[in-house]
Amino acid sequence: MADIPVYFRNRCTCVEVVDSNTLRSSCRLHDTLTDAFVELTATLPDMEITDIFGQVTRTYRDECREFRPDALKKVIGVRIGAGLLKILKGLLGESNECMQLSFMVEECCHGVILSLNKDMLMPLAKSGVEPTKELFAAMVKENIRLYNRCAAFAPGSPIVEGIEPP
Amino acid sequence: MLKYMRSKLISIMQRGSDLLIVHGVLDDDVYNLEIDVSIGIQDLEIKSLEGKWGRYTSPECPRAIPMLQEAVGYQIEADDFDQKVHKVVGRKACRHFANLLLECCHSAKEAVMLVLWEKEKESNPELSFDDYRAGRKVVSQKKQPEPKAKVEVRAPREEVVFDEPVPIQKHTSDGFIIDIHMHTYPASQCSIISVDDIIREAKHIGLDGICLTDHNYVWSPDDVDELRQRHGYLVLRGNEITTDQGDVLVFGLERDIKGIISLEDLRKEALAADAFMIVAHPFRGFLTFGPEQVGLTPEKAMERPMLKLVDAVEILNGKVTPRENDFAAKVAAGLHMKTTGGSDAHERENVGKYATQFQKKIENEQELLAALKEGNYRPVSFRKEMVSGL
Repeated sequence: MADIPVYFRNRCTCVEVVDSNTLRSSCRLHDTLTDAFVELTATLPDMEITDIFGQVTRTYRDECREFRPDALKKVIGVRIGAGLLKILKGLLGESNECMQLSFMVEECCHGVILSLNKDMLMPLAKSGVEPTKELFAAMVKENIRLYNRCAAFAPGSPIVEGIEPP
Repeated sequence: MLKYMRSKLISIMQRGSDLLIVHGVLDDDVYNLEIDVSIGIQDLEIKSLEGKWGRYTSPECPRAIPMLQEAVGYQIEADDFDQKVHKVVGRKACRHFANLLLECCHSAKEAVMLVLWEKEKESNPELSFDDYRAGRKVVSQKKQPEPKAKVEVRAPREEVVFDEPVPIQKHTSDGFIIDIHMHTYPASQCSIISVDDIIREAKHIGLDGICLTDHNYVWSPDDVDELRQRHGYLVLRGNEITTDQGDVLVFGLERDIKGIISLEDLRKEALAADAFMIVAHPFRGFLTFGPEQVGLTPEKAMERPMLKLVDAVEILNGKVTPRENDFAAKVAAGLHMKTTGGSDAHERENVGKYATQFQKKIENEQELLAALKEGNYRPVSFRKEMVSGL
């Protein structure tokens, strides 16, 4: 007989364009023990969170059952930018809060960032040209913070050959 | 219209009495990756980890796969587990594998509870999951932030035009140069240089002094005085405080602020203490796109309320791109705000990359504060010229 999983999780994060200055990012979680949803709105170009909503419809955790959706409103006004995780952690609390919802806020914010990363990659994808190491080397030179940020940009990778470490 | 979607699917199976087999898939508009991880049920330790790319961006992304082995042996319930995964798997392998690994391991922790509950039910069939967990409740004790108060803001300033990049000024021999933004270990956990080493390096490259600005950390006056005596060198104190609007360098504030404070509350405290606030790296962007890519112009950025709640702008920061520094310089020029430079050094090689050149000699914190308020200083590029001349 095939294996029967003891646990399943499905998490989906979507970013929608509301208008030319507004993105809506939502994260939906269904797993064996939890069902939760977070949705936030961010405006461009500041990438400022202007609205947020969250709910937990199924959970085993008391701190999530008792979580007031208004508690998420603390992040309104925060910009999705560098240092975001530290700010979210500080505003949304530590282990005695509903960490799942806090994590879902992070996922929504990552979704916004990744959707903009996708915009940067789209012209390349549309051109049909295979990305070369030169192209990525130029990216690292343009933003040296990428150096040693992952295996592809670590010393020893052909991409960073000849690039002076920061 | 949908602009982006990421789905993560995790399934967990039990193998024998003490092993979970976790399979995770991450699929989004750009990446597709999978991992298989086995985790001990009793010790919650990662026993094995295999990864596989389906879709990726750079031709060198496959180099991430062998680096995943670094996570084998990690205890998934350790306090620093998430941090270690971000730091080790995220940095040495790939942040997307780190994200999926965390999803798998968080799921595994819940699966372990289910497995142990099922086991418990063998001898106690009526035991509910809630009852099983009853002994593990946590009482919420989080303190709510105090209501925000109105604080003093400056009047708007006249407009300027942004055409040319703002030239980076080199230091001249007549001023007094201090690196007013630097981090030491262990006061800043993200730093890898000790305070003694940072002082030695600053002396070596010819800085006139340094100011310690560890993250949400207040150095005691006695400790800094001892450092000053021992090294025969000017060591001053500041603090880099995380606010809801980003990082702010504060000088002259003694209170040890932990956690996140709202920028408005920090402003209120700074005004009460007669302290000085500099917004640090205000336009630090992301790894693959900067402020311009999201349509942010200096004119628009000038409207940010946060800039009315600080006294100066750091326009030369050693950790951001030249373009991001230039953007900050244009915004500061547009608002006619005072500007500073600092290395934001977390390692020896960055000490003094940028600094602030004051017109007159500074010998203590009172003089630094007075000089910052007076405004007779400028951000300068320092290290490159000095090190090449050593």
